[in-house]
This record gives sequence, structure tokens and C-alpha cells, in this order.
Amino acid sequence: METKEHKRHQHKQSGPKAEKKKRRKQQEKGAAENKDVRKRNPKAFGVQSAMRMARTFHRTQDLKTKKHHIPLVDRTPLEPPPIVVVVVGPPRVGKSTIIRCLIKNYTRQKLGDISGPVTIVSGKKRRLTFVECGNDINTMIDLAKVADLVLMLIDASFGFEMETFEFLNICQVHGFPRIMGVLTHLDSFRNTKTLRKTKKHLKHRFWTEVYQGAKLFYLSGMVHGEYQTQEVRNLGRFISVMKFRPLVWQTSHPYVLADRMEDLTDPEAVRVDPKCNRTVCLYGYLRGTYLKNKTQVHIPGVGDFAVSDMSFLPDPCPLPEEQKKRALDQKERLLYAPMAGVGGVVYDKDAVYIDLGGSHMEQPQGEPRPATELVQSLIGTHTTLDAKMAESKVSLFSDGAALTSEEMLQGGEIQGPTESRVWDPVAQRERRKAVFSDGEEEGGSEEDGEESDEDEGGRESEEEEETEEVQEGQSGPPVKKQRVGGTVERGPLQEVPAFADSEDDLEMSEEEEEEEEGRERAGGVAADSGHCSEEDMSDDGSDDEEDSGSSETEEASTPKGTTGKIDRSKVKAPEECAEDDEEDSSGAEEKPVALVGISSRMKKSVAKGMDAEDDGDEDDDEDDDDDDEDDDDDEDDDDEDDDDDDDDEEEFTTLKGVSSEEKRKITAPLQGMEEEGEGEEEPCFESAGALKWKEDLAQKASAVFLRQQQAAPNLRKLVYGTVVQEEEEADEEEELGGLFRVSRPEKGRKQRMDALDCSRFTPDGVRDWDREEVLDSIRDCFVTGQWEEDKDAATLLKEDEELYGDFEDLETGEVHKGHAGQQEDCKEEESEEEDDEEEEEVLVKEDEEEKLKKKRVEKKRRLKERFDLEYDDGDATYFDDLKEEMQKQAELNRAEFEDMEDQMRVQYEGFRPGMYVRLEIPAVPCEFVTNFDPHYPIILGGLGASEGNVGYLQMRLKKHRWHQRILKTRDPLILSLGWRRFQSIPLYHIEDHNGRHRLLKYTPLHMHCSATIWGPITPQGTGFLAVQSVTGVQAGFRIAATGVVLDLDKSVTIVKKLKLIGYPYKIYKNTAFVKGMFNTNLEVAKFEGASLRTVSGIRGQVKKALRESPGAFRATFEDRLLMSDIVFLRSWFPVTVPQLYNPVTSLLLSLGNKDSWTGMRTLGQLKRDLGVRNQPDRDSLYKPVLRAPRHFHPLHVPPQLQKALPFKSKPKQEQRKGAVPRDLRRPAVIREPHEHKVAALLTALSTVHNYKRKRAHSQQHGKHKEFLRQKEREEEEKLKRQKEARKKMYRMMGQQEQKRERSSLKGAAQDS
Amino acid sequence: MASQGLTYEGCNFFRQRLILSTLTGKWVKIKNIRSSDDNPGLQDFEASFIRLLDKVTNGTRIEINQTGTVLFYQPGLLYGGTVEHDCNMQRSVGYYLEALLMLAPFVKSPLRATLMGVTNDQRDPSVDTLKATSIPLMKHFGLDGEGLELKIAKRGMPPGGGGEVFFTCPVRRTVRPIQLTDPGKIKRIRGTAYSVRVSPQMANRIVDSARNILNKFIPDIYIHTDHMKGTNAGKSPGFGLTLVAETTNGTFLSAELVSNPQGQGSPMLPEDLGRNCAKLLLEEIYRGGCVDSTNQSLALLYMTLGQQDVSKALLGPLSSYTIEFLRHIRDFFQIMFKIETQMPEEDSRRGGSKVLVTCVGAGFANISKTLK
Repeated sequence: METKEHKRHQHKQSGPKAEKKKRRKQQEKGAAENKDVRKRNPKAFGVQSAMRMARTFHRTQDLKTKKHHIPLVDRTPLEPPPIVVVVVGPPRVGKSTIIRCLIKNYTRQKLGDISGPVTIVSGKKRRLTFVECGNDINTMIDLAKVADLVLMLIDASFGFEMETFEFLNICQVHGFPRIMGVLTHLDSFRNTKTLRKTKKHLKHRFWTEVYQGAKLFYLSGMVHGEYQTQEVRNLGRFISVMKFRPLVWQTSHPYVLADRMEDLTDPEAVRVDPKCNRTVCLYGYLRGTYLKNKTQVHIPGVGDFAVSDMSFLPDPCPLPEEQKKRALDQKERLLYAPMAGVGGVVYDKDAVYIDLGGSHMEQPQGEPRPATELVQSLIGTHTTLDAKMAESKVSLFSDGAALTSEEMLQGGEIQGPTESRVWDPVAQRERRKAVFSDGEEEGGSEEDGEESDEDEGGRESEEEEETEEVQEGQSGPPVKKQRVGGTVERGPLQEVPAFADSEDDLEMSEEEEEEEEGRERAGGVAADSGHCSEEDMSDDGSDDEEDSGSSETEEASTPKGTTGKIDRSKVKAPEECAEDDEEDSSGAEEKPVALVGISSRMKKSVAKGMDAEDDGDEDDDEDDDDDDEDDDDDEDDDDEDDDDDDDDEEEFTTLKGVSSEEKRKITAPLQGMEEEGEGEEEPCFESAGALKWKEDLAQKASAVFLRQQQAAPNLRKLVYGTVVQEEEEADEEEELGGLFRVSRPEKGRKQRMDALDCSRFTPDGVRDWDREEVLDSIRDCFVTGQWEEDKDAATLLKEDEELYGDFEDLETGEVHKGHAGQQEDCKEEESEEEDDEEEEEVLVKEDEEEKLKKKRVEKKRRLKERFDLEYDDGDATYFDDLKEEMQKQAELNRAEFEDMEDQMRVQYEGFRPGMYVRLEIPAVPCEFVTNFDPHYPIILGGLGASEGNVGYLQMRLKKHRWHQRILKTRDPLILSLGWRRFQSIPLYHIEDHNGRHRLLKYTPLHMHCSATIWGPITPQGTGFLAVQSVTGVQAGFRIAATGVVLDLDKSVTIVKKLKLIGYPYKIYKNTAFVKGMFNTNLEVAKFEGASLRTVSGIRGQVKKALRESPGAFRATFEDRLLMSDIVFLRSWFPVTVPQLYNPVTSLLLSLGNKDSWTGMRTLGQLKRDLGVRNQPDRDSLYKPVLRAPRHFHPLHVPPQLQKALPFKSKPKQEQRKGAVPRDLRRPAVIREPHEHKVAALLTALSTVHNYKRKRAHSQQHGKHKEFLRQKEREEEEKLKRQKEARKKMYRMMGQQEQKRERSSLKGAAQDS
Repeated sequence: MASQGLTYEGCNFFRQRLILSTLTGKWVKIKNIRSSDDNPGLQDFEASFIRLLDKVTNGTRIEINQTGTVLFYQPGLLYGGTVEHDCNMQRSVGYYLEALLMLAPFVKSPLRATLMGVTNDQRDPSVDTLKATSIPLMKHFGLDGEGLELKIAKRGMPPGGGGEVFFTCPVRRTVRPIQLTDPGKIKRIRGTAYSVRVSPQMANRIVDSARNILNKFIPDIYIHTDHMKGTNAGKSPGFGLTLVAETTNGTFLSAELVSNPQGQGSPMLPEDLGRNCAKLLLEEIYRGGCVDSTNQSLALLYMTLGQQDVSKALLGPLSSYTIEFLRHIRDFFQIMFKIETQMPEEDSRRGGSKVLVTCVGAGFANISKTLK
């Protein structure tokens, strides 16, 4: 294309236009200037007060730092598990209704009974699991620990109920999840004003509990038994945009909220003993952190268990794959709730029903069965989801049409071919197990079911193969049955390879490999250490069987690939090894040879340099054989080993060139392998039939290839994989690739077992460090050697030159320029930055430009980096650095295992949160299954290291302020700590000022105290709460106490006060002999020097035991004692903590009684129940005070003294007065009637007289008073007058004085 | 509540099992300890080791059967504090110290241990080596700071012993994940040539011969001569050399050699010893990696006990002890390491092939530490 040269526009340099432009430009500039207030009015922004400025600065800094949190590594998974939404509230507030409404809002489906968790896809990036929380405090505690969001339903017409507050307090203790209040029953208010008031009141109360401004939702009323659509939609929107903060316990522990439970126990075992322990399989999304296989879990309400097997399943409720659309399709709005009947399984009280859509599909669904309708819809969705899986099922059944039609009639429980889509493959397996008496299908169908789950992509092409496989699987031996059988005899004890692949993975044919791509199922085979003979041998067995089952199917499919010998051998394998184990294990004679072949091959592939098979396989084999024998003879014999190693090494060095080629060969579909290995592979395989582990060779091999283990020596396998059975001693200890020594645990077991325990790694063959080339091999390990390209000093220097070549010497003003090219760069840059108008381009080639651009970008970046380093460094705080570091770590965590197969990844990381996992748990009490109630949540809480142990715990505890009673020491208390709920006996104590921990009888009222219990080890800082009983509904606030774990051992000794009492029996001045305090002299000796005190407060000391009476001692006091004093010795007695740990097994209780767990009763309860009344101490009872009258002796004055006394003081010899004689007694006067009258008259007269006199007296008194008053008045007058007169006189006197003074002054003046 | 446990056979890897058991709280039962041996059962040094563990922990339950062939070990909580232990003469202090290095950061109160016995012998890593390599390694994991110290107060050579080592370590709640993938280049070589109860000239002779070889690579070599006298010299004569190569990235690789104990084997020439030790160091450098071969298991343990983050370390070829340790880690923690081999490039002169181990930490937290 030719560009036409246009005439460029000429800017006016002068004239009116140019003037105008200039003016405008200036104006703009001015305006911009004016806008900046700081510039316009600088004074207003000047520093007025330095103090104030400092304060503002401080304040801003404070606010800034307040926002900081300790940065944590972000460990949230890329695909997070569904958010757990717990709906709580007292009964009849509308919990189920709101769940139903929300589910309908999200998925347009109706759900009948809400039992168990319900998982739905709520948006493009979010899934929700709804759980309804019953009114049982056990459920409330459990669910508060796993909740991400709590919908707290409050009946507004009633107000808050105790349960609401209880739940809030539980949440506070176990980490505060998001809480959203929902007010219901608002339509019961007639009056708007009361409604408004109630809302406001409830809102504020809610705010004080949660936080100011916490969201409270109002559901105004019901329409047709549902909440209003708009309101539900709003609520749903709130839920789907809500953000969550990580909670400490949840992020540090893995947990699963099980949404499906199956009993895997052998029916026969159950029949024989209905109370036998069950093996239970639980399904659910993994949350929290990574969960590893075989870890210990706690199921609240059941107990502690070890997971025997764990695997992940395809997500039953996956997020939509592509994010193109704005909203979800109807297909993508999934619902998964097996316990509620969605997903095909319905749990009833005594049975599990599986909903069979199949043959009834055509029938119109009746109204009262909404669940089925859901199932129907789910069928559709599932088909779309992993159509592949369903397809395989269908084909399976269509092929076995005869079988199904026949057996349908016999065993009614067989599911139709179509329903199979609905179910999870594993569930199907379970069903089938019950149905097919011969159990033939199980191995195969299960296998391919799982396989189909595993690979969703690229499946179409393999369909035919699949079907073939399936057929084979059906005809295969009943391997699965054994596994299900549980207690049915297992395979012989054997070492199972850590990975499903044995080392023979390299012997795969090309075809097979392709065929089996994506089908590996190795994950289930938990690596089991061979060297550790653990208790889970049985598990190994089962795993093995599983594997073998799968291998069969795969092997069965091999006829398709026609690879001659190998294939033939493989075809042979399924029949032989699977059908008849005995025959296999009896073994072929070539076994050792074959094994040697394997190992030698292994060695070679590992040693990577050795390509020597081409020339002499046989020779090699023999060699190795010899080596093996040698090793067997004496493993520790270093010499031979060294020889070996040396040989290897030589080979190594000589064949270095070949190595890369070899590598390629191994990673590639092993054409070379076949060529080389045919000779040895065949025997290997024939003998392989002899060994169990070889049954699944093909599968294992495929797994290996899929994992893309590079041909580099598979260290992982050598470290973790135990390859050969214990019986086989054909082992060699060789050095592989000069890299490390093969040390298989089972080889040379006897010698190795008791070998020397030493960590030093002594080289077995020291290189000859005198030779120059050997020295050369480490030349670059030193700073003096050659550096890597990017780190070489010369290169770095050059780079620097290039980048920072230009500089200006400020002193001389000289400008140094870098290279010419660099200058051009700069120019380029400048020109770029200038306006488009001034384009003056040099025509450069495209690629060149590109290069330059890149260079420029690079340069800019580096400059910027440098600039940042220079100028931002001051700003970059410790906090920023830390954050940066965490960010980096998080990125690394994400990236490290990102592109790894899940099967593999799971082994390294453990199962990721967000995965849908299946956990098999053995030895669960049968009540768990028989009394299973889906309404109660089953939580599997993973336990960290040593959290499965029991020990002493020290905690800080405070009685809850709303709990009405104080707590008594040694009264059993139910604690919720970590995942667990358990009963224990706390001792309350408090620290005195001198550091002594004194036992308290009761918890203090409004204060923290310490408590020590015997309980499960839980990390410090974990909160706990305590309740006195979990049974039923009680009056009052149930949460008795809350607190936090402080320490995990009994490092403090709790003591209680002990007073020993004694009585003095002999007192000499300040010394007293005391008895009754001790019983033996030994005891006294122990207390020598101890301080004593008496009741009267005299202090003393124990001195020495007395010989005469045992237990008596001599003591000194600060003062003389009285015999009536009581001496006591105050001492401290250590208390032991009672070892009671009693888990609350509420889930094992029978249906309907799950909230009636009772453990050990408190002393008070016991007494109440047994009608025992405390007998009070008799001494403490109140008795009437009986005082004996005191008798005093008569005063006795000695006669001598009497004589000397004056008469007045002499005791008078007074005769005692006798009784008055009769004649001296005066007779009583009896008046005559007349005399009577006279007397009466006289009395009357005297009364009148008395009255008159009294009146006269009072009158007289009044007059006198008047008189006195008058007199006083007069006196006052007089005084006043006198005062006046005195005043007058004084004034006059004063005037005269003045006059005199004045005159005298005058006079003086005149005089002078 | 029955806690989990593991059962093993044989006395090999005795320390690994007990240490991991102590850290995870799982009980361990070891059966058939030298059951077919002439001298069956636990030996004195193992008994001494158990006693040391008992001193460091609180509430540990140890049951040994009559013949000593079966050991049951139920760990208690790690307590730490001031510990004084008279180590058995059969093994050197290094045997005990290695275990303490693994446990010390996770105790309740900072460990201050005084170990008495043989400081340098031919079997176990000597105290000098541990001081020169393990202590800097621990610093990578954030275990540095006040109080991380290993001091050799007295030297004791076999068979008499009489050495004394003082080890203190601060307590940590968590361990940092590491990314040690680049060992860097060796910038200096240091060492200690020690001699006790022999002529002090011995040390100088060792130094000369060792320098002779190492000078071909790097000039920055300083080998300290340490001649202890009097009570500090222990009870038996002997001499030895410990060499440490330090890289630019803070990796320490070491080698050591000790003279034959008095009355056993033929007497050694100090020149030979120096030369051989230097060669051993070159061998160690050839193996390479970011962690010394004796400390591989220590590094792996700390990686395992880290936060739930990815840790990476480049090691030399794994020793059989390390391989067994990896297996034990899997038994106790259910953690597997991703192990990749790094082959040396064609014409690189950087020693043999290396092993890159990667793991996700167990999220272990020190539960002994008291919450204030």
C-alpha cells in the first residue's frame, strides 16, 4: 500500500488566530492554577500549630494501622466448597419454609421434607448447602462449628426466644460466622405503629448481640404458605453476594458435612450379630483444609474414628463450566440432597428407599410426590452433566438385557436401566450388592462407573471399548463381593505398592496405553507402607482387591490391541489370576527370575543411562541375579556393593549420550521397550500370575503413564513404593544412577531391621579425587568456577551497562551515552511520547520494531523497578513485606500442583477442600446406623496431630452472666471444645498473688477463673462453652460458662487449704506441748519449722517431736498460751484432677430421643434423685443457749483483818431475817358500807381539789410567763436606749477628739 | 479414647520413630528388637536415648518387656526446660543431639540441654558438624533469634568420653515454609581441626594436608585449630577434622573424619586424615544440594511440620536413612513428598544429580507452648 504524501497542516505562528489560541491556552492554565486552592490561598494551608499537626498525623496513622490485620497466606481453594447456610430458630418460626422458598428461588424446584443438607448451585461461582438446625442444643453446637452463614429466624410476633441467644453465644465461642436475622410472622401485627416499634426494638437488640448495623431481614407475610417471592429473591441476592471471613478453627481443620450415609457392613455379619460394629460410608464436600487419607476424624455425637479409605468423586453439584452467560441455565441450577430424597435415595426410619424412576417414568407424577418430580428433573440434569457416565451405565444394562429382565422378577430391588443415571455410581454399587446374589457385576460395573466418573473428556472415542470392557467385567470373578463382605477372608498379607503402579509399568503396549488413558484409578489405593506392619492390613487387602478388580476389566479389554505376546499374556491374566487365586499364588517356578527381570528393568530405566538391554538382556538378568544373591547374603557388605556401583557408574558415564534418547523412549509409548523387553517380559508376566500384585499390572502401568512420570528414575516409587512381596528375597541393593541406594523395607529385612541407626551418609565408593577430570566435575560449584549465563558477573555487568549506560556527570556537565542502539531507543521513546502531529517516521521493518518495542518495554520495566526500589523503599513497611511474602507463598501453593492429575495430587496434598469425597469408616457403633436420623447433621471433623489424645487442659473460664447459678467444682459439665462435645469434671481454681493456684469451691460470679479438666488435647486459644445438661428444654439460659484453652498439661498444681488443729497440754512460759495435730513423729518431722497460730492470734513454730506420745510436739510461741487455746497449722494440699472424659453420644440414641442424652449426674442431681438430704454438722446447728446460774462464794474477811477494820467497814453480824411472826403481821382492813361512801366522797373531793389546784397553778404559771416576757421586753428597750446613748456619746467624743487633733495640728502648724 | 498408633519391627531407625511419635502424639510399638541377636533387646545407648526423651517430655509412658525386645512408647507433651543428660558412651553426643534438634523448637519452655559424653566419634555426626550445618539450616526455617546456640564446652573422644555440649534453642509456635532450590556457589571453606591429649602439632599437620587439596578450588580456606587441654580435653586422646563449605546462598556442606579411637584399629596419620577428609568434602560437594547429607532428615522434618504451604528443597542423593525417614513421615503425618530428580546438564561441572523434594506442610503448631 502506498501512502499518499499529503500536505501537512501549517500551524499559525502569528496573526489573530495564533493570538487567540495562545490566549485560550493561557486561560486554561490560569484556571487550572486557580482551581488549586492551596496555591491560591497558601496561608490557609500553612502550619498553624505544630502540636495540632502532630496530633492529626498521629490520628491518621492510628487509623491506618488499625485497619491492618496479620497477613495470612491465602489458602482458599480455586473451586470452593458450597457455602454452608444454617437456618436456625426455635420451632415454628418458618425454618423449613424459608429453605424451601430459597431453593425454589434458586433452582425453581420444590422440595418436600428438608432432611439433611441440601446443596444447590446458586450462581456462576457459588453453591450453597442449606442445613436446618433443630431446636436441640447438640445440633446447634455442631452446626455453629461448620456454618459459614447463619440465617437466624425470629418470630416477630413473639420476640426473641432463648434459643436465639443461646445460638448466638455458641457462635461467639466457636468463631463468629456471618449472621443474618430474619423476622417472620410480621403479618400478625394489625397496627402499623406497633409493627414499626417492634421491628425497631428487635433490630436494636439484635445489633447489640451481633454488631451494629447487622442485617436484619423482614419477611412481611405468607402467600399460599410461602413467603413473598420478591422478598425471598432479595434475601437470595443478599446470600449470593455475601462475603465471608475465614474462621480460625475452620481454616485449620478439615471437615465434611456429610450429605449421604451408607452402611457397607456385610449383611451376613449383621444377620449373625445385629449389634456388630458397622462399616459406614459417608459422603460430602470437604471443607476447611486438606484432609489426608487414614487420618483420625471425630464425628460429634458419635466418637473418634480413623478413616480407613477415602476417595474423591465427581462433583454431584458442579459449577457451570463456562462462564459465558450472565445467568444460569435451568440445567445448571442443580439440586443435590440425597437425604431429602433428591438424588434417588430416601432415608426413612428403618429403611433406605431408592427411587426408581425407570419403568414408572412414563407415568404422570402425582401431586403429593414432589420428590419424584425432582428426581425426574435431576435425571435430566445429570445426563447432561456427565452424560458419559450415564451412557456407560445404559450400555451396561442394555447389553445385559436378559439378565435384568429375568432378575427383575426374582429380586425386586433391581433398578431399571434408566434410573441409573440419577444415581451416583457408588450408590449403585451398593444397591447392586444387595441385589445380585452372585455379585458378578459389581466388580466390573463399579469399576467402569468410577472410571467414567474420572474421565469426562475424550470419552466418546472409547465407547466401544467401554462396552467390551463392561462385558468382560460382568463375566469377571466376584471380586467386589469380597470387599463388600468386610469380614470375609482377605487376601494374604502382602505389601501393596504405594501407588497402583508396580514398577512394571514400563511394560505397556502402546495400544493399551492409549486405551487406558484417563482410566487410572490409582487414588483409592492408599499408599501403605510396607515397612510398617500396621493394623490396617485388612484395608490393604481390600484395596488390593479393588485394584485387581479394576485391572481385570482393563486387561479384558486388551484383545482389541493386537500386540502379540504381551497381549496374549495379558489376556491370559484375567482368567487365571482373577478366577483362581490359589493357582496363582502357588506360583510358577520362574517367579524369581521374572522378578529379577522386572527389577533389572526397573533399575535400568531408573538409571536412565543404561540402554544396554539391546545387546544383552539375558546377561543383564543374570548379572542382577548374582547381585541379588550377594546382597541377600550380606547386605552390609559394602565392598560388593561398591563394585556394583562402580560398574553402574562406569556404564553411566559412558552412556551418557544415550540417556536423553532413552528418556524419550520411556516417556513415549514405549516402542523400544517392547523390542528390548519382550524376552523378559513374557516370563515376567507368566510368573506375574503368581502374585497378587501383578493382577493389576496393566492398570497400574497405565496410571503411571498418565501421571506422566518422566523417565527419570522414579524416586517417588522407590521411596514410597514397596514393590516386591516379603516372601521374595530376590532383592538387590544397588545404587541407581549414582543417585541413591535402593532400600526397600522388606529386603534383607532381618539384617536391616536391626541395623545401626545412624544418620550419616557415608559414601560407599569415593571417587578418585586425585584425577583431574573428577576434580573438574565439581569445578563450577565454587565461586571460582564458571557461573550460569544469567548470573555471570560479566553478563550482569554488560546488562547494567546497556541499561544504565547513560549518565551525566553533574560536576563536569559531561553527558555519557550508552551504546548507539540504546540512544536510538531513547529517541524512539521520545518520539513516541510526542504528539501525533510531529510524526516523522523512519520506515522500519515490522519485526525490528517489535524487537525494539520489547526492548523498550523491558527497559522501562527495569527502570521502574529501580525507581520503585529507590523511592518506595522508605514506604515499604514490614507489613508490606510480610504481605508480599504471603502473596508469593500463596501463588506458589497454587502453582505447585496445579497441572497434576487429581489422583496424584491428592496423594501429595491430601484431599483439597471443595472436593466431593467419600470416606469409609470402620467400627462404627451399630446404633449410628440403626438410629440414623437425617435431620441431625453428621459432621466429620478432622483432627490435627495429637488432637486425638486425652490429657490435662487448663482453661480460662467465666460463668456466663445469664446463667442463673454458679458452678460447683467437681460437678460434671458438658463442654463443647474443638469438634467435640464431652462431659468432664472441671476443677476451678484461681491464682493467688504469690502464684499459688487455690482451688475454688464455686466459680466466682463476675470474674474469670481457671479450670483444669481431663479432656481431649486441643490447641491453645481454642474457645469452648459449657452446658450443664443437653437434655430437653430447661428453663433459663443453658450455656453455663465460656472460656478459652490456655495450656495443655498439668504444669500448675492446684491446692486446697488444709488446717491441722491441735491442743496444748503443757505450757511453760512461751513454749507449749501440743498434741492431736499429728499421729506419728514422722509427720511431725515433716512439719518441723512450720508456722502455727492460735485462735487468739498468737503465732508460733513447730519445733520438735516429743518422744513420750506419738504425734505430740514442742512448739514455741510469741506469747504464753492458755490451756484453752486451740493451735492450728495452715497448709496447702495438692488436688488431683478427676480423669473423666465422656463423649456425648447423642447421635447414637434412638429416634426421637436424640436430645435426651444424660451423662454423669451432678452431686445435687444425684441427691435430688435419690432423695438424699445432707446431714448438717451437729456442731453447726443452732441450739438454745443454756447458761448455768453462777454462784459466788460469800465474802470472807479474816478475823484478824476484821479486828483492824473501822466499825464502818466491819462486816456486820447481821442475823438472818426470819419469817415475821403472825402477831406482828398487820390485818387487812375491811370497810363498812358507810365508810366506803365516805372514802369515795373523800376521793371525789380530793380529785376536785387536785384539779382546782392544778388549774390555779397553770394560770399562775401563765401569768408569770407573761410577766417574764414583759420584763424582758423592757430590758431590751432599756438596752437599746443605753446603746443609743452610748453611741451618741461616742460620736461626740470622737468629734471632739477630731477637733482637738485638728486644732493641735493647726496649732503645730501655726507654731512652726 | 484410643489414640492411633503404629507398630514397627527392629531397632533400626529407632530415633526417627520415637521422635515422630512424640511430635504427632501417636503411640509406637517396636517389636523384635534384636530378637535374634546374641545380645537381644535394647542396648544401653537406646535406653539412654529413651531416658533423654523422658526428660524432655512430660507424661510419657514407656513400657519395655523383660528381655527388652518389645518397646511401647506413648508420648506425652514436650516440656523442655533445663535438661542434663549423661549420654551413653556407645554413641556420641551427636546421636542424642540430632533428636533434640528435631524436638527443641516445639517444647513448652525453651530447651537448655547439657549433654555429656563422647563429642566426636566415627559413627555419628559430630557436634562440630551439627553446629556448623544444622544450626544455619534451622535459621532458614525461622528458628533463629536469641538462644539458638550449640556450645562445645569440653571435647571427649571415644572410648573415654568426658565431653560436654551445651545446647539451647528458642521455642516456636510454627515453622516457616522454605524454598531452597538454589544452593549457590561455594564462597569459602572453613573447618576445625581438633586434637585432645595428643600433640598440638597434629592439628596443624591435618590443616596443611587438607588445604593442599582444597586449594585447587578456592583460596578462601580457613581451618581453625582447636587444641583443648586439661579437663576440657576429655578422657581419651584423639584428633579429627571437620570441614564446612559455605555457599553464597547460605548452604553449608560438611565432611568430617575422626582418628581411630585409642586401642582400636591402626593409628592414623594426621596427614592422611586431612587428605581423606578433604576428599570427603569434595564428595559432599559433588552430591551437592541445599542441605548437607546428614541434615536431610532434619530439613525434611521441618518441611513437614511447616504451615500448610508448599516447601521446596534441593537435596543431594537421598541417603537410606532419609528414605526411611520419608516413609516414616508418611506413616505418621500422611504426608508424601514430591520427589523429582534433577539430572546434571551435559557439560555442567556442578556435581552429580540432585533431588528436588516438595511437600505441603502438615500445618503443625506447637501445642506445648503456653498461651499467655
